[in-house]
Amino acid sequence: MIKHFLHPILLLTTILLLAPITHAAPEIGQSAPDFTVIDSDGHTHHLADYRGKFVVLEWLNHGCPFVAKHYDSGHMQALQKKYTDAGVVWLSIISSKPGSQGHATPKEANQTKAEKKSAATAILLDESGTVGRLYAAKVTPHMFIINPEGVLVYAGGIDDKRSTDVADIATAKNYVAQALDEALAGNSITKPTSQPYGCSIKY
Amino acid sequence: MSFLKEHRATATSLGLFVAALFWSVTCQPLAAQEHNGQQLVTASLVADTTAIVPGKPFRLGLHLRMAPDWHVYWQNPGDAGLDTTFHLHLPEGFQVSPMAWPLPQRFVEAGDIQVYAYNEETLLIITVTPPPTLSDSVEIKANASWLVCKVSCIPGQADLAITLPIAAEASQANAELFAKYEALLPSSEPPPFDVQWTPTPTGWNLGLRKLPTEASRVEFFPYANDDVSPGPSESREIVEGHADLSIPIAQSAPVRGVIALENGERRGWIVASTTASAEPRESLAPAAAAAAPATSFWTFLAFAFIGGFILNLMPCVLPVISLKIFGFMRQAGDSRASILKHGLAFIAGIFVWFLGLAAIVVGLKAAGSEVTWAFQFQNPWFNFTIGAIIFVFALNLFGVFEIVLPGRAASGLAEAAGRSGLSGSFAQGILATLLATPCTAPFLGTALGFAFSRSPAVIFAIFAAVAAGMGFPYILLSAKPGWMKYLPKPGTWMERLKQFMGFPLIATLLWLLYVIGQQRGTEAVIWALASYLFLGLAVWLYGAFLGPLSSLRTKTLATLSILASLAVGLGYFAGQLFAATAATQPTKSATTSTDGIPWVPFSQNALDKLLAEGHAVFLDFTADWCITCKFNEKTAINTPAVRKALKRLNIVPMKADWTNANPEITRKLAQFGRVGVPFYVFYPAGKSRDPIILPELLTEQIVLRVLDATHP
Repeated sequence: MIKHFLHPILLLTTILLLAPITHAAPEIGQSAPDFTVIDSDGHTHHLADYRGKFVVLEWLNHGCPFVAKHYDSGHMQALQKKYTDAGVVWLSIISSKPGSQGHATPKEANQTKAEKKSAATAILLDESGTVGRLYAAKVTPHMFIINPEGVLVYAGGIDDKRSTDVADIATAKNYVAQALDEALAGNSITKPTSQPYGCSIKY
Repeated sequence: MSFLKEHRATATSLGLFVAALFWSVTCQPLAAQEHNGQQLVTASLVADTTAIVPGKPFRLGLHLRMAPDWHVYWQNPGDAGLDTTFHLHLPEGFQVSPMAWPLPQRFVEAGDIQVYAYNEETLLIITVTPPPTLSDSVEIKANASWLVCKVSCIPGQADLAITLPIAAEASQANAELFAKYEALLPSSEPPPFDVQWTPTPTGWNLGLRKLPTEASRVEFFPYANDDVSPGPSESREIVEGHADLSIPIAQSAPVRGVIALENGERRGWIVASTTASAEPRESLAPAAAAAAPATSFWTFLAFAFIGGFILNLMPCVLPVISLKIFGFMRQAGDSRASILKHGLAFIAGIFVWFLGLAAIVVGLKAAGSEVTWAFQFQNPWFNFTIGAIIFVFALNLFGVFEIVLPGRAASGLAEAAGRSGLSGSFAQGILATLLATPCTAPFLGTALGFAFSRSPAVIFAIFAAVAAGMGFPYILLSAKPGWMKYLPKPGTWMERLKQFMGFPLIATLLWLLYVIGQQRGTEAVIWALASYLFLGLAVWLYGAFLGPLSSLRTKTLATLSILASLAVGLGYFAGQLFAATAATQPTKSATTSTDGIPWVPFSQNALDKLLAEGHAVFLDFTADWCITCKFNEKTAINTPAVRKALKRLNIVPMKADWTNANPEITRKLAQFGRVGVPFYVFYPAGKSRDPIILPELLTEQIVLRVLDATHP
């Protein structure tokens, strides 16, 4: 079998190379597509290295009013704090291409991270859009949860109130928090998918 | 955020604005959204009347005008964005209709992000019914909010107001503006063309038929759904009044939306899918009262029935048809009751086969496999087994052996089919249908596409309808055996005819061996033939030495020899050597084809790449066991004129060879709502153009017209 000869890194490269032309979205209950990306501090993050932990992927663009709703209210940071304290790996991913709104150099990303008091584990810089396309991420904030076995268990919006109005956060049902609470308690997730809402990702 | 700085002007004193900025006679309170000095959206509240006539409904519109390249969103914004809102605050006694949304435009951004929105300008309309008694003038307040996007998105909102006098009579205002957007409101009347909803593994296929031939494009805009929203919908060109749109949605959940047709002007109709998930009975009723005349369950049953009937005429069934006719002729001498019994037994065989197939499909569906029509011919062991049965059956016809003990059914299907009793008729029914499956007749394709994504009960019903269709001629002939009196009287010629019938069966065997060869290479064919040789020896031994008159010693020896032959034939040649052959590369037959067309083997990546590079692609889904495919290729595709057109128009011919199971091809077929081959798609050059689906039965003219007509 050819597989035996493929070094894992070669396999990964192949996946990443093919990703931009693969449109199939990852499915709930299937293994989450692996990726390797550099964060704003220059560290390499390899999804497979986080086996054994829950991983949250959050697509980020601080220029987007939907994202602003969740950051200006401090709501997103609170979620990040709560769940990273519980051992969850929270990765905020910027997939805006260079020159597009939301794109950030490592320095800019660290600046906004400090400014917004983000409590995410890391800000991943995906300016090629590879990871975004791999997950068929469409909007900011588009949210994904991967369980310790590397299986995708949630994909969708952050909550059920499609709006840019901060006041809506109080009455909205936060699907990500609900899914994480259920998963961390060892229960099955009652709402594994929802309609994501937000600004389009600027690929 | 600095760039979010915006100035909201709420004007309550009207005159100045009207005089300075606008042309209309009506009061036009307006608000403008500015961003970096650019006016992005101008919102105004307009009425279609100069005054309110008590009790007489009138319309208010939110008139939004956007800066060039900026857009605001429709009620379902699509993958990103936010729907525009428009609320009226009216004095008591006024009633308001829900907001009416004119047809949106489709915008596709990088990353396959699709949104439904308005650029330039739009008018969102609410109908207001005033109470029967009123005095003075009425101030109507409105609140609107929107998200306006170009590349970045900026939320905007406006508080608007309009004061209208009360009068006994009023004249029209803003008539042109209202007329323009009135025409763009989707109608809840049934559309003036046929709409067929077919569930597919990936969602729905929206089949539109009898569209005006001069219409150029048709689109579908889905309404938002709370849980599962439809994926990107499509825009398609219309070919000969036909268009098929695929609507991706999980589990074929119900979909409502708007069909927009471009025919000089744009017009829209609200349609709703049938419900797929519920029990089959429910699928008969359209989901909403406003639903289009959706193709019902019964129509599909009718298609399945007709498809089953057509199977009788398919080339791969012909040899067995001649056998059946032979059977009927032989029976013509018997009593009527006996003929009817044979006919019914034959039909029972057909039913058992199809219902068995339905059971397998339901089982495999439950097991999560990708199941498609004629899938069994992708399995070389299936082909090998059918080949063996046909070979043994042919030997029986040639007279190599006779079935001596009709009661012993253990010898298998082929031998059973060779018998003349009721069980023989039954087995013949099974065999006839077994051979028919690779020919996906056009009607059958539709019915099966429907069946595969349905509940088990519906799958059984569809397959039963196919069985009924296929058995129909025999029901007729056995119920009216009188019609058979025109058939020749039995005689010694029958023995000759029987022997002759062996030859078409051998021809069928050749075809199966060809398929095996395509799947597993020449070696596999040789090992299959070697296996058949010993199988033949075994049945000859059986016929020659196991008769009732043979001595016990002979019988013992013969039985041992038979077992030895079977061991060599099935155990060694089939079980060892045939089993050891590996599947040939799926692309092999495509690349080594000598047919004069430089086929490129299909892969999703290769196709995406070609399309991204701006090539036009003709995609041929085919399989070696599909005779219709081969027929189309010979008569309509691989012709000098088409070869020339492909070359002249610089179209890349791509072949998806489904001879062996290939999940990538199965998925691609599913995208178009298909579960079988033949299937042909043409992707015109240019990214924005949608693929054109060709009919299953092709003529050279159809192919040339599609290739030519769409050339820019």
